[in-house]
Amino acid sequence: MVDQLKKTVLKVNSISKDFMNVKAVNAISFSVEQGDIYAFLGPNGAGKTTTLRMLLDIIKPDSGSIEWNLNGKQNQVPDAEDIGYLPEERGLYLDVPILKSLVYLATIRGMEKTEAKKSALDWLEKLGLADRAKEKLQVLSKGNQQKIQFVASILHKPAFAILDEPFSGLDPLNQELFIDFIKEINNLGTTILLSAHQMSLVEKIANKLFLINNGQEVYNGSLPGIYQSFGDKIIIELQLETPFSEASFQNLTDAESIDEIDDFRVKITFNLQTNLAKVLHDLAKIEGICDITSHKPDLHDIFLQLLKKK
Amino acid sequence: MRYFSQVLTVTRWEFSRFFKPKNEALGIIIMLAVSTVGYFGGKYAFSDTEQKMEISVVNNLDTTLSDFLNSRYIVKEIPKDEKADFLELIRNQKEGILLESGSEGFVVNAYKNTRAISKLKADLTDYQKQREMKKIGLSQIELATVLSPAQVQESFIYSDNSAKRVVLSYFFAGLMIMVVFLCFAYQFTAITGEKQLKITEQIVSAISPQVWMDGKIYGITLTGLSSMLTYAIMSILGGMLFFQFTGLPASGILDYLSLPSILIYLPFALIGILIWNAILAAIASIITDPNNSAKSSLMMLPIVFVVTSFLVIRDPDSGLALFLSWFPLTSATSMPIRWAITEVDNWQLAGSFLLLVLTFYLLRKLAAKIFRVSILITGKEPTFSEVFRLSKQA
Repeated sequence: MVDQLKKTVLKVNSISKDFMNVKAVNAISFSVEQGDIYAFLGPNGAGKTTTLRMLLDIIKPDSGSIEWNLNGKQNQVPDAEDIGYLPEERGLYLDVPILKSLVYLATIRGMEKTEAKKSALDWLEKLGLADRAKEKLQVLSKGNQQKIQFVASILHKPAFAILDEPFSGLDPLNQELFIDFIKEINNLGTTILLSAHQMSLVEKIANKLFLINNGQEVYNGSLPGIYQSFGDKIIIELQLETPFSEASFQNLTDAESIDEIDDFRVKITFNLQTNLAKVLHDLAKIEGICDITSHKPDLHDIFLQLLKKK
Repeated sequence: MRYFSQVLTVTRWEFSRFFKPKNEALGIIIMLAVSTVGYFGGKYAFSDTEQKMEISVVNNLDTTLSDFLNSRYIVKEIPKDEKADFLELIRNQKEGILLESGSEGFVVNAYKNTRAISKLKADLTDYQKQREMKKIGLSQIELATVLSPAQVQESFIYSDNSAKRVVLSYFFAGLMIMVVFLCFAYQFTAITGEKQLKITEQIVSAISPQVWMDGKIYGITLTGLSSMLTYAIMSILGGMLFFQFTGLPASGILDYLSLPSILIYLPFALIGILIWNAILAAIASIITDPNNSAKSSLMMLPIVFVVTSFLVIRDPDSGLALFLSWFPLTSATSMPIRWAITEVDNWQLAGSFLLLVLTFYLLRKLAAKIFRVSILITGKEPTFSEVFRLSKQA
């Protein structure tokens, strides 16, 4: 019921973009509602960044339309103050003091200078970098530079933040920290559209997904929905003592698919209705299995499964 | 309104990034120190030229020449039979001058040709002139009358081509080209630096390429002008100091500063600087690495046009001068110079200025368009034709 009352803040209608002879984005459509954490997922080169750049009018789509509806303003290009953007290609003024840089980037997005300064200091305090506000960015570690970059994109408290690969280049600890940051700004009212290829991280925060490959839609819907539609499987992973040979697994007639992960690892997918006792019985006949694990399909598995179907 | 506030924010940012008052002050101090050392060093170096120079003469000179030389030199007489020894001495010690007088004229012996020899030759010419005047019975006053120029009364219909106005127009042309060069360095650092640091994408997601380009052009122009204002004040103070030392009234420099002329020259120079900044910004936009780009050599472009603009001096009323004073890449300097040396109608002055402003308006739009298509090109530096093609598509 609450979901039905949510306002659509971004509506993308069949946008396409070609670069020379390559179809980077091919007639994709989706919409984002207020309060969403909408994840744009796909492998490298799938068309994620091109799509995000089109949303921000950095590049123009060859066809299709984009409609924004932020803070009561309906337009094709969002106002700077309503949007935060963390580009995939990170970069800040290395030779300028951190605070000065942050304040400048917030003021060009329409924030008052004094408010920007206060907000920047609050964030630096949160990151434990308040005492380094007047230092140049180049003296910070790479991890801290990434944090400053993130702060620069959301400092002005935008209604909508586009985060292109926010987790790339981060160590696991900082990845978790960024997940907390994203949740925090979302709780404060910022709708998030993020692109990533680390599906395990996205599973932790997103409520909606758009899976893209070769510029085309693979899936568009809610996170629970994707599990409901494609998660009714059981996956068994085997560790082998000798290199994988397809002939050894011919007796597994119930298997939906058998995929070689590497020479010594195999992933077998079964329907939920499959008789597991029979599967285990059949597996016992195969020689050289040294380890067995089973799990429900995660986002990564579903994505690969959907790609196969396509 | 948003456009203006965003441009103002970017202008301030660019200005504060590059204009460093501390560095400017340090530059002034260094310039003052170098000038002071140069001035006093030069004075010391040439102090001996004010003293009487020593020359040697073979002792067969007539008394008139001897008296003449004694009034200007410390003269040492050498007996004729010691001449060879003295010449040997000159060879060994590499100094000394020996003068001989004969029926054919004078012989000067020295180790090498120096300024002292030139002075001696000039003095000997003086002496010869006086001797010849005496021979024909001509007095100094009569000679001056013979050599005086014809009395010509000048009466021109247009007589406003004050030399001081011309000097001031050159001064502004010089300032303009210096500002353009300063801005060029800043512009390259700003734009290519941001491309290399990958800041561009974040900025253009917040403001339009036009806002960013305009802010850069104005901010960096302001930086160049501020630096030049410092240097201009320094030049005026230096000029006044020079006048003071040379015994001329220090206020003499102020005679050159005519307000009506400045009110003509300044707007032309200002728009000229903005035009070049827009061109340089467009060039910088398509350069990936300024150290290895052949396009960096385009920095010579402004100087080519400014030097060409000086052709108006040869014949300010010719067709070429007329063209140069209207053509936007040369008119910023050509029109003020032409105005200073010949008669230029007010409508021409206004028309040329409007064309200059219009050109700037269009060039900044073109620069933003080029910038827009260039920012996302990574890897290989785009060629001009690629940029042209992409600009047409954008």
